[in-house]
Amino acid sequence: MHLVVNGVEEEIRSDALTSLLRVLREELHITSPKAGCEQGGCGACTVLVDGEPRRACLTPLAAVEGSEITTLEGLSDGVNLAPIQQAFYDKYASQCGFCSPGMMMASTALLTSTPGASREQIMEALEGHICRCTGYVKIIDAVESVANGSAGAASNGAVAQGGSR
Amino acid sequence: MKAVGARLPRYDGLAHVTGRTQYVADWSAPGMLACKGLRSPHHSARIVSIDTSRAEAHPGVRGVVTCKDIPKNVVGHLEALGVPADEPYFADGEVRYKGQLIAGVAAIDEATATAALDLIDVVYEERTPFLDIRKAFDPDAPKITEKGNVFFYDPYDHRKVTKGDVDAAFEKADVIVKGSYRPSAIEQAPIEPQGCLVVPESDGRLTVYTCTQAMYFTMGVLAEHLQRTPGSLKLVGGTVGGGFGGKVDSASEPCAALLALKTRKPVRWIFTREEEMLCGSVRASWHVEMADAISKDGWLLGRKVLTLHDAGAYTRFSSYGATKHSFHLAGAYTVPALRTRAYVVWSNHVPTTAMRGFGVTSASFAIEMQMTRGAHVLGMDPWEYRLKNANRPGDLMPTRKVLEDPSTIDTIQACAKAVGHPLSATYAEMKNEGRSGEWLPDHLRDQAADAKLGDPQGAAR
Repeated sequence: MHLVVNGVEEEIRSDALTSLLRVLREELHITSPKAGCEQGGCGACTVLVDGEPRRACLTPLAAVEGSEITTLEGLSDGVNLAPIQQAFYDKYASQCGFCSPGMMMASTALLTSTPGASREQIMEALEGHICRCTGYVKIIDAVESVANGSAGAASNGAVAQGGSR
Repeated sequence: MKAVGARLPRYDGLAHVTGRTQYVADWSAPGMLACKGLRSPHHSARIVSIDTSRAEAHPGVRGVVTCKDIPKNVVGHLEALGVPADEPYFADGEVRYKGQLIAGVAAIDEATATAALDLIDVVYEERTPFLDIRKAFDPDAPKITEKGNVFFYDPYDHRKVTKGDVDAAFEKADVIVKGSYRPSAIEQAPIEPQGCLVVPESDGRLTVYTCTQAMYFTMGVLAEHLQRTPGSLKLVGGTVGGGFGGKVDSASEPCAALLALKTRKPVRWIFTREEEMLCGSVRASWHVEMADAISKDGWLLGRKVLTLHDAGAYTRFSSYGATKHSFHLAGAYTVPALRTRAYVVWSNHVPTTAMRGFGVTSASFAIEMQMTRGAHVLGMDPWEYRLKNANRPGDLMPTRKVLEDPSTIDTIQACAKAVGHPLSATYAEMKNEGRSGEWLPDHLRDQAADAKLGDPQGAAR
């Protein structure tokens, strides 16, 4: 089996019925997709499969053989944050941060297909994502700021400056 | 004061938006074993026997632990406050709730550990569970302990707060309004399930990666269970994927630590969502009965409250929650005569714990529902009924605290404005200041004298 994960071709050794979430987290050590429920209920494991948002926890490896997988780690170019990341950072859309990767991946898919998405469209795209900290308003505000072009310019080098702890 | 009011970047914000933040399940260690827990399928049962031999012999299993393996099984969360310890970490001789931990298994992977749970042979003798706390005082209700179903801690079996002459207030009242309020149990449900990774180090110490909300609390509880010094434990954490009170009970750490010591391997235990919802501790459910004595012109003259707090199967933080509840039963209003009785009741529900102001939220829910009900009975605007009885500077709380700068009036006026609720001029212009004129009725004249009565607990005994 093989996958293209964040642009890198990977040979996968996990069994064909292993969930994509477990492949990413346990075999490839890509940990931004989160195991919040492993029942498809919370959205924290959402990744892009050939550009479409998918629940990685309910997606068997065999179903995505050969696909291009994008996780939060693949959104930035390694130096600058992607606009959705910058907006989440600037607008305090991440509180504990656990649901944020899934939220940002679903938002990325929406803003790719519908760049000027309305607030209603944003709420619809995120309705399967649970956040227990923020009350959602700041998350929707952040996505909307990218959609309507009011988000601030990315600060150069933000990713390179760190953020790991 | 450069930070207050400023839009400062979050110190962990960049890590959150780039996926670099290390939550507990993101840690791993070479040779790591997976842990799973065997949990009670019954609300209440005597345990006749536990046989782990088949599980231990299962290929891939590296260790099994039960109550026989833990140096100190019964540790109380509030022992330092004088509340006796009552909860075994591993069930010993009985199970008191569905989901109670009986044994832990460490194996080469999660599937093997899960399969081994089915090979632990437990013989139960089921008992009739006690699940409706309203029957706590019934003579024929199942007994959770030999002492019964009601506890607080010595020497009291309940928390009481008493202020003023309650019987006189109810005799004088034009209207008596009664209500029962039953806020239900709530799972904190953070999106990150709780768990830990325990790594035995070469110097004998244990490194404990954990999502606990309370690092030193967990260190203390873990040290007690293991009968080790806190210095032999190194806790790594502080990154919590949501907690809301549900990650203060040190649920996974002792089991994983025992298995790490037994196997000399790193052991990781992350709860499943199902475990989190069915076995993890919740905010308690409550039964609150309230009666208010009110004059026909809208003054709250007295209140009586009976509270039953469903602690679940063991004490944990319930005595503390019931105390907080009791101290808040007048709410943001001045009640000259008050008599409250709060009982903490054991049941066969999961043990209950912290969650965002637990104890106070149940009081607030009951009080605010009761205030609205009182206003409707009187035919008053509920906002104005609240403002009329609002706390003011110089008022006396049931705990004998004299209020210096309460915010009830300002808050209610601001809320009314925010939602566009019209207040009559009297209430729209009401000021948060000491009582005088029409806002100093006879029944609130002697507050200063009441303040000298001393211990409100003592006054009632």
